[in-house]
Amino acid sequence: MSVELKMAWRNIWRNSRRTLLTIAAIAFASMLLVFMLSFQLGCYETMINTSVKISTGHLQVQAKGYLEDKKMRLVIKDPDQVASVLETIDGIDSYTFRANGFSLVSSDKRTYGVVVTGIDPEREAAVSTIKSLIRKGRYLNADDTYAVLIGEHLSRNLKVDIDDELTILGQGRDGSIAAAVLTVTGIFDSGLDEFDRNIILMGLAGFQEVFSMGKSVHEAIIMADSLRDVAMVKQEIQNHFSTAGDDTKLAVPDWMEIMPGLLQGIQMDLFSGIMMYIILIVVVAFSIFNTFLMAIFERTREFGVMMAIGTTPSRITKLVMFESICMTLVGILLGILGGSLITLYFQKYGISIAGTEDIFKEYGIPDRLYPRLSLISSTAGPLVVFLITFVSSVFPALKIRKLKPVDAMKTV
Amino acid sequence: MKKVVLIIVILFLPFNLQAQTEAETIVKNAFDYWRGQASVSTAVMTIHRHDWERRMTLKAWTRGESDSLFVIIEPAKDKGNGTLKAGKGMWMYNPKVNRVIKLPPSMMSQGWQGSDFSNNDLAKTDSLIRDYVHTLEEIRQDQGKKLYQIKSLPKPDAPVIWGMIKLTIRGDNILLKEEFFDEDFKSVKVMTAWDIQMTGNKLFPMKWKMQKTDAQDEYTQFVYEEIEFKKSLSNRIFTRTNLKNPGL
Amino acid sequence: MYVILAWRNIWRNPRRTFVILMAVIIGVWSMIFLGALMRGMEREMLKNAISTLTGSIQIHHRDYLDDPVVNNSLDNIGRLDTALDKILGQDSLWAKRVRVNAVVSNARHSGGVTLVGIEPEKEKAVSFIGKAVTQGRYLVKEDKNKILVGRAFLKKFNTKIGNKLIFMSQGTDNEIASKAFRIVGVFRAESEAVEKRFAFVPLPQAAGMLKMGNSISEISILLPELDISGKKEALVAKKLVAALDDITIDDKTITVETWQDLLPMMKAYLEMSGFFLYIWYFVVFVAMGFGIVNTTLMAIFERMREFGLMKALGMRPVQIIIGVITESFFLLVLGISLGTGFGFLSVAAIARNGIDLSALAAGAEMWGIPRKLYPEIWAQDVVVAGLVVLVLGIFVSLYPAVKAARFTPTQAMTKN
Repeated sequence: MSVELKMAWRNIWRNSRRTLLTIAAIAFASMLLVFMLSFQLGCYETMINTSVKISTGHLQVQAKGYLEDKKMRLVIKDPDQVASVLETIDGIDSYTFRANGFSLVSSDKRTYGVVVTGIDPEREAAVSTIKSLIRKGRYLNADDTYAVLIGEHLSRNLKVDIDDELTILGQGRDGSIAAAVLTVTGIFDSGLDEFDRNIILMGLAGFQEVFSMGKSVHEAIIMADSLRDVAMVKQEIQNHFSTAGDDTKLAVPDWMEIMPGLLQGIQMDLFSGIMMYIILIVVVAFSIFNTFLMAIFERTREFGVMMAIGTTPSRITKLVMFESICMTLVGILLGILGGSLITLYFQKYGISIAGTEDIFKEYGIPDRLYPRLSLISSTAGPLVVFLITFVSSVFPALKIRKLKPVDAMKTV
Repeated sequence: MKKVVLIIVILFLPFNLQAQTEAETIVKNAFDYWRGQASVSTAVMTIHRHDWERRMTLKAWTRGESDSLFVIIEPAKDKGNGTLKAGKGMWMYNPKVNRVIKLPPSMMSQGWQGSDFSNNDLAKTDSLIRDYVHTLEEIRQDQGKKLYQIKSLPKPDAPVIWGMIKLTIRGDNILLKEEFFDEDFKSVKVMTAWDIQMTGNKLFPMKWKMQKTDAQDEYTQFVYEEIEFKKSLSNRIFTRTNLKNPGL
Repeated sequence: MYVILAWRNIWRNPRRTFVILMAVIIGVWSMIFLGALMRGMEREMLKNAISTLTGSIQIHHRDYLDDPVVNNSLDNIGRLDTALDKILGQDSLWAKRVRVNAVVSNARHSGGVTLVGIEPEKEKAVSFIGKAVTQGRYLVKEDKNKILVGRAFLKKFNTKIGNKLIFMSQGTDNEIASKAFRIVGVFRAESEAVEKRFAFVPLPQAAGMLKMGNSISEISILLPELDISGKKEALVAKKLVAALDDITIDDKTITVETWQDLLPMMKAYLEMSGFFLYIWYFVVFVAMGFGIVNTTLMAIFERMREFGLMKALGMRPVQIIIGVITESFFLLVLGISLGTGFGFLSVAAIARNGIDLSALAAGAEMWGIPRKLYPEIWAQDVVVAGLVVLVLGIFVSLYPAVKAARFTPTQAMTKN
């Protein structure tokens, strides 16, 4: 066994230029796949993180049933207790609390139906991007009770500007009238129509007072350290609350449950990406197939001699297969190595796509995109290359069996 | 053959029509009895849910089938909050923000003050007369009083969400029960009235309850502390100005 | 002379030639094929977005898009009609709509929805709704109080065909308008969000309920051709703006938007898409390139004797290089032509039935990519692919060519 292996290795290097080129082709393809896959996955991660940062967070804690039907009554009765649990969990980067209520908002001129959301200004700034989306005026301070932030769209529709007054009229948690006069303190623009037009933000304390919430809230918004920590954090929170007794009845939906469309969009994009990769691999495999084929033709004489001295065709076939496996392995390893290094470099420094920086910045999307190296991204591509290369080397190898020693030796 | 069918149809027709017209009269009378004149009243409304209960005292002015003004007197936190229905529109007032706001369509299906009576229920009290075709189903006797069981089906184009309403009306025109059904004729909520007392010159149920059929512990109860029926009430009462300052 | 020599040289060793040709053919084929798939996907995505009510071009009252209330309606319908007739010509189709946000309720549920009053016959040709009804039936002009709702809506409201829905919205008189409609048909759309969001009724019924008289909310126009770059639509829009300026009473109360204005994300996506495709072409070539260099090198080495001989007979190195490059040139051109030919054939084979993507239906739903994909070849892609392969192919052939030119007669004769 090892004789064939040794021979295979030596054979390869007999024609180093050809071998190097073949290895280069395989390495190139593998490297490219590693980098592209890492980039794609990294982009998805960026996309997800950006989307969740606008309002939903990586995961949330809510009363059971709130996700499906946002009834005022479905509250988290004791946010302090939830906070103490969250503090103990590793993997949570930041969290905040919010409360929501559907209300009518009126300016002098118009009335619209909106969702009023009470936020904790300090904590919120660490969790969502809203602070950076303020275009006019200022963000909320901790002591702002009756100040409100509204979207640009809404400010136009209501025909109000900074320091104008708005009246909100809605229903409190206990069904009583919730009414207040709020002063427009800041105007934001998130780029998302739905958000800008339908949501206004005020201080949580003020909200709780106006909507008779006591100290209860509706949602705890949680940002995990990274996307990969979400599942683990979710599990831990759930464990805590299942042991705490049935009374609490809390649910812990993650971003996939809150925004199912995002996941689907990513799956779709992954699909089209995979389509491209497969085509690339086919092209590469073909290249290599070509090379192997030609190499076999070239060595006909050599094989003839070997057979004449008694080597069985199948041993020769095995030899040739080993040769291709060796080259492929070296190519793949080099590719993984090279690809990983390049990926890690950009993972640290990021890539910016010309022309997109401005738009991205405006909407809180980081202007640099970061590929993310993972076990999957570094091995999936090269593995497929290996398989397909292996398969494509079989055919030329089989051709050997058909050789007749005498004819073979006559070839020049 | 055709002739026979025709005769039979003609024979039965009057009965049906009769039953219908009779039912209509009964309903109209009951409605007029309930809302026909003007009234001024004070009532306590209790909203009961699985885990909490809320109580408020309000003063109510009603006139005819369509005008009404409700203002909250207690608790102090909500005092001065009012809802006015006049003509086709409905307005709300809140003293804290000192604004009168016209209710947009999005608020109409919400419960009034969080109760089981929707804003729409209050806005379209005359809908029962206008939008339904009534049929007398049954006449019963109970404690010496006649009880009419009436089935009301919405007219084909009527903008009402119910598939059917069943009414139980007493011989002396007192509405005892109104049950609301969806289009599959499953019961959604029931309004019952009891504790009939003599107020001034009229017998009137002092206690009313709107109950969700599927949730026994979710209901809204209305208890009149006093109610006075009048021939009419001044127009001034049903204006936005008065909504802001009803002179309690 | 080079040409003849080169051509004959190629065919002297058919097997060698064949192997190199194959590499080029496969590479070019893959570029054409992938390009066609991508373009097909782009077009379907755009078509889908447009047919979900956006249309090629839309016309509104100036304030409608910011604030879609009934007061922001188009009034001069008659004159609009004539202007559109004149500018759009025979093949364009357009439909009028009334579109407002409304609250819909039945006995147990209530929620927000967008009520769309349509002209059933005209709308059929302009948006998806004409073909989307899967249960019950579509609307006809004479329908009085019939409505079409989406399948997801039906589920959410727990109702069925034949049942009532009560709609409430604000009319032009600022009073609450309400009306009962009966469900006569259920439609399916590419996404559940669309199914839950829109409800369709005959235009006169919606206008009547809202006391709009002859006013409408929007006109949606479908041009006969869909231009992915959006340029054609922009041209027509410009013409419309000029024409409409003449008939508006107040200054500029009408706006005309193309799908690019209405769907900026789609516009950005399509622009990026083309860019990335060409980068991919380059990548594919590099992958191919290794094979070409390798096989060409092997061919050169096989012919060492031949080159050595030529040198011995007096051929200058430069001439050998030119010769080899010319051979490569022929091989490339041949390969590109055949590859493009196969590309066309394979696309044609699929184009008739399209590729069925139902396996990924769930994911496809979000971005509105329909279940079938029809590949589409763009002349521009074919040219780019061919050029990339030709230019780069010649470039990489330089290395073997130079190698060939360096063979000394002695080396050649002592080979083997």
